[in-house]
Amino acid sequence: MRILLAEDDPMLGDGLRAGLRQLGFQVDWVRDGVAAERELMSGEFAAAVLDLGLPLKDGLDVLQALRTRKITTPVLVLTARDAVPDRIHGLNLGADDYVVKPVDLHELGARLRALVRRANGQSQDVLRCGEVVLDPAARLVRFHGEWVAVSTREFDLLHALMLNAGRVLSREQLEQQLYSWGYEVDSNAIEVHIHHLRRKLNADVIQTVRGIGYTIARSQDGA
Amino acid sequence: MTVARAKSLQTRLLVWVLGLVTLVWLGAAVLTWFDARHELDELLDGHLAQAAALLVVQQSRADGDDDDDDDGVADAPSLHKYAPKVAFQVFHEGLLTMRSSNVQLTPMSDTAAGFSTVSLSDGASWRVFATHGAEHDVQVYVGEQIASRSAILWAVLRSVLLPLAFALPILALVLWWAVRQGLAPLRHLSQVLVQRQPQALEPVVLTDMSSEMEPMVQALNGLFLRIEHMVVSERRFTADAAHELRTPIAAIRAQAQVAQGAGADTAQRDRALQATLAGCDRAARLVDQLLTLARLEATSAEPTSPATLSPRVDLSLVTRRVAADLAPAALSRHQTLELEADVRCSMAGDDLLLGVLVRNLIDNAIRYSPDGARIRVMVLAQDGQAILRVEDSGPGMTAPEMARLGERFYRVLGSGQQGSGLGWSIVRRIGAVSGGHLAVSRSALLGGLAVQVCWPTPSVG
Repeated sequence: MRILLAEDDPMLGDGLRAGLRQLGFQVDWVRDGVAAERELMSGEFAAAVLDLGLPLKDGLDVLQALRTRKITTPVLVLTARDAVPDRIHGLNLGADDYVVKPVDLHELGARLRALVRRANGQSQDVLRCGEVVLDPAARLVRFHGEWVAVSTREFDLLHALMLNAGRVLSREQLEQQLYSWGYEVDSNAIEVHIHHLRRKLNADVIQTVRGIGYTIARSQDGA
Repeated sequence: MTVARAKSLQTRLLVWVLGLVTLVWLGAAVLTWFDARHELDELLDGHLAQAAALLVVQQSRADGDDDDDDDGVADAPSLHKYAPKVAFQVFHEGLLTMRSSNVQLTPMSDTAAGFSTVSLSDGASWRVFATHGAEHDVQVYVGEQIASRSAILWAVLRSVLLPLAFALPILALVLWWAVRQGLAPLRHLSQVLVQRQPQALEPVVLTDMSSEMEPMVQALNGLFLRIEHMVVSERRFTADAAHELRTPIAAIRAQAQVAQGAGADTAQRDRALQATLAGCDRAARLVDQLLTLARLEATSAEPTSPATLSPRVDLSLVTRRVAADLAPAALSRHQTLELEADVRCSMAGDDLLLGVLVRNLIDNAIRYSPDGARIRVMVLAQDGQAILRVEDSGPGMTAPEMARLGERFYRVLGSGQQGSGLGWSIVRRIGAVSGGHLAVSRSALLGGLAVQVCWPTPSVG
């Protein structure tokens, strides 16, 4: 799951990036409001952690600009401003969650996952598509009740597909969601991961829509 | 306004008004007294003179008509209760021929003609008019008791003073009521103030404000405004301080959790622990700065003009000491720290505060200049000024950045350094407290930032 972190403090930004990576997120880090807005406009991120006191452009202004342009990427505001009016203002401007510093990394991860889940219309953290069960918090995948060992990339790929179950994702979209900046992505990397997943699970689980991309069928019983 | 011996404005007004009224009234009474006495004297003296003239004429005629009159003295009977208060004597050729019954046989006065005041044998004071006939054979004395005049005068005075005695209490009562009415706006104001919440700082608005109260209420509102500014800036400072402290704490927490979750990745754990320690140092430094600033804000409330800072310090000495302290930090970043502080530069000021100022300036230069930069610190004594100059070859600042410098928690973007922006607030504060003048510019020599602080030194020692 690819997250944009907008935080101007070098030490806190570094800590959050490292901590969220440990929790299995792909994290891209920007240090000012203008960069945050530019990156979020691309829509490549599953969610964003936004500091309010950002240089060049205040976090709330970034948020307002995003929502004005109908970009619905879930935004978690992380700030030291804890006054109730500040929180209300932030939420009114379109923040999906409001967390006051300092925050527990695990809590931050859980909140981010909850935001992404809700944004994708899921009510439970554990995703289920047919016989495939994916637990983002524990980073576990089960197939027919059996635990399946998958790599980080494979997990993220499956996660992205299951979050968008019933929809077709292009290879570019999947690459954007899987890889943060600075990674040289092989042109067939996604295909390789899909191949591995099909071998570990079942060839029918992930379907190829030729010329468009990949998809996972939505469960009949609903998620 | 001392609470223990607070005087009522109402009582004061009342005492003054009543006192003045009484004084004026008494003055009027005294004037009346003198005026009445004068008129009375003239009138009664006229009567005496006329009576005397009458007696002279009568005696002269009797002289002519009845030559062989016996030598006996005719005693005029007393016919009125006031009669004993007037008296007369008629002498003919040295002999007493006629007198009122209440008078002695010898002449009442030594004066032969005109008015005199004498004390007679009966012990009373008399006003006597003496005159004589044309041939000097008839001598007439007409007298009147002074006491009777006084009685009339007192009666006049009583009629003036008596109403005062009755009117004064009534006047006091009416005045008390009137003053009370007049002071009603003042009471209203005090009521409004008493009922105020301590945190209510909006201006007082009175509908029935008199012109005398306006300056007071305006001054009061001015005070409220200043207090509000102070409270607002205090609140903002607290909020800013909380914000600034939360961020390093959040960083420490995040890094500690990263170290905790690093597992077998020792490189990551070590790096995170290193960052945790750095975060603690940063938080500690921030707390130090906040405390310094808070202390400075407290001292600024006291009168600290340069003159009151009597102890003299050597700016060169302070600068050398601080530069020596900070040299390792510069060396660790391969920066060159040049110091030119050879002259003795004595100035009024506090040794510790000055040290904090110099430390912040040099520390900022080291912090915000890149590795390998040049930093030049100079102390000069010229034109009756002590001058401290800190220049660096760092990136410097744009004009808008320089303008915003010293706003609490303002820091230049993209410096890649962790600072709170408090250092500048502290420098500015100490500069102001010690009477120094702060100037920021681009260094002509090194191309980076140049900060200059000048203190006037009336007597360079």
